[in-house]
Amino acid sequence: MSGTINVSRHDKETVISVKGRFNFEMHSQFRAAYQNDSGEDNQGRRFVIDLAGTEYIDSSALGMLLLLREEAGANESDIEIINTRPEIRKILETANFQRLFKIA
Amino acid sequence: MKILIVDDDPINRTILQRLLGKEGHEVITADNGRDGVDGYVRHEPDLVLMDIRMPGMNGYEAAREIKSLHATRFTPIIFLTAVTDDEGLVQCIDAGGDDFLTKPFNRTILQAKIGAMERIRQLHARLTLQKEELEQHQERVHQELEVGRHIFSHIVSAGHLQDAPCLNHWTSPMTLFNGDLLVASYNPAGGLHIMLGDFTGHGLSAAVAAMPVADIFYDMTAQGFSIGDLAEAMNVKLLSIMPRRMFCAACLIEVDHRQKSINIWNGGLPDVLIADESGRLVQRVVSSRMPLGIARMTREDRKVEILEMRPGFRVFLLSDGVTEATAPDGSMYGVERLESHFDGHHPPERLFETILKDLEQFRGNAEQSDDISLLEIVCDRASEEPKGVEEKRQRTAIPPTPWEVNFTFSAQTLKTVDPLPTIITAVMNLQAPIGHRERLYTILAELFSNALDHGLLKLDTRTKKTPEGFLQYYSEREERLARLKEGSIRLELNHFPRWNGATENEPSGGEIHILMEDTGAGFDLNQIHTQLHGNLGHGGRGIALVKSLCHSLDYQGRGNCAKAVYRWTA
Repeated sequence: MSGTINVSRHDKETVISVKGRFNFEMHSQFRAAYQNDSGEDNQGRRFVIDLAGTEYIDSSALGMLLLLREEAGANESDIEIINTRPEIRKILETANFQRLFKIA
Repeated sequence: MKILIVDDDPINRTILQRLLGKEGHEVITADNGRDGVDGYVRHEPDLVLMDIRMPGMNGYEAAREIKSLHATRFTPIIFLTAVTDDEGLVQCIDAGGDDFLTKPFNRTILQAKIGAMERIRQLHARLTLQKEELEQHQERVHQELEVGRHIFSHIVSAGHLQDAPCLNHWTSPMTLFNGDLLVASYNPAGGLHIMLGDFTGHGLSAAVAAMPVADIFYDMTAQGFSIGDLAEAMNVKLLSIMPRRMFCAACLIEVDHRQKSINIWNGGLPDVLIADESGRLVQRVVSSRMPLGIARMTREDRKVEILEMRPGFRVFLLSDGVTEATAPDGSMYGVERLESHFDGHHPPERLFETILKDLEQFRGNAEQSDDISLLEIVCDRASEEPKGVEEKRQRTAIPPTPWEVNFTFSAQTLKTVDPLPTIITAVMNLQAPIGHRERLYTILAELFSNALDHGLLKLDTRTKKTPEGFLQYYSEREERLARLKEGSIRLELNHFPRWNGATENEPSGGEIHILMEDTGAGFDLNQIHTQLHGNLGHGGRGIALVKSLCHSLDYQGRGNCAKAVYRWTA
């Protein structure tokens, strides 16, 4: 069982909410969620990943976040991961993702 | 089409035979069930038309037998029946019939039914062929993977994971290829390097990325590089070969039984747990670095945690497959349950086994969803020699020749790199006295660290005698090295061939004269004498050890110049 993804687009911001299990099965869904918003035309766009409804996150999901970061401009990207529950925060921090993303 | 008609009524047979013959079908007939089965075997028809009531073997029995003869080939059977009641028709289907035709025969319906059956038969034939192709393909892939797995497992298990007496390990791959890389190998100074790497994903892709990592691990460990150096080299390699969404959570550990220290670099793996002699959790090393293959490493990222190795200590290293193992009801094993074993009430020597048993019980028959690895380091056994004889790498012996090299390392160099591995490699390429590498490494390493730690950094070995002092020593060493502005260390190596008896043409060995000189204040020569005897205590890197390995060891100048002579024979 994997989760579901909801996307809401605003002027300069894309909010991607992940519900349920955030694992390798979500790969194409997650990619589709940001694909139109990344790339050269979208420099300066802000991405918010809302994990409020996320039950579990695995290493492939961390990989997807890295891919988003790369496609959104690597070090110039502006990505915030919000509503992380303690267990999920622990996983993100074990990988020291706070150095690559804003985590709240 | 080749059609078999089984009917005891000659009139029916004749009508059918004529009808079908006109359509261009080849017709064979039988007048009872037994002959029908025999005819089926002999002629292998494409379709069978079967009467039900016949003397001897009836139509149902004949149909059952025909269907049971070939499990894969599909030959449709159409029952010829006068009955139209539901029960009778159900019986036809039960007996393996594919359709039925009621008497008297209607030509159009007969043609239509034969046409329909032919379509099904062709569809079945195509499916069977595709299934066979798929099975062959699967078999080929499986065999290739099996060969790949064999090669892979030999590449990654080239080290000392199996034969290091201080290690216990357990690993359970989810697929044929293990996405967890677990390797161990001794460095030239006798320290043990251990690495657990957990790649994103499982199976082949993880295994392919693991191979260069294993290579770097063995190669650089053998050359004497530190685990920080290893982590950095692996990171560079993985950054260049892996797709962006893949990375490797890894932990590298160096067990140095002479220094009585455990160095840990943890990038993305669960906490490394350390239990004391009563089995109680006394320390944990959390991941303070990013996993490998994500971003370039800074100087800070190379740093390792240094712990003092105390008697009875046990170190537990695991992949998240342990804490995230799931039970049949979907619940996770969890950190809490894992750490509950470290309460001091479980016999420490059985902790490893206890955890594995508990994990197995918890998982029950649930499907494994990740690779699982667990490793234990029994510190008390760290100084034991590896089991079994190590296979020496075959090298061509270079005949002893005279040579001389001279290195001078400035403070700036000493701050940035550890020059030892490079020097050792250079010396080995010049002379390569087989079997002497470890000894030479130890001698050079001891003399070098004496020159640096005591000569230039003015550290006092005695600090290391207490647990607090031990850590203080290393943090002070780091600080002083960072502040080091002047001073240098000079290393001079002179090699002289030696002849065993004057008449021989080829020299039988040689003598390496090592001169390690630092610009520090030196030692009181009397004090050195005391050190020679007293420096083998807790935490001390021994000059006495060097003396025991060398033909001679003297201090010259103001005690800032060590001169060692090492003799070797081929």
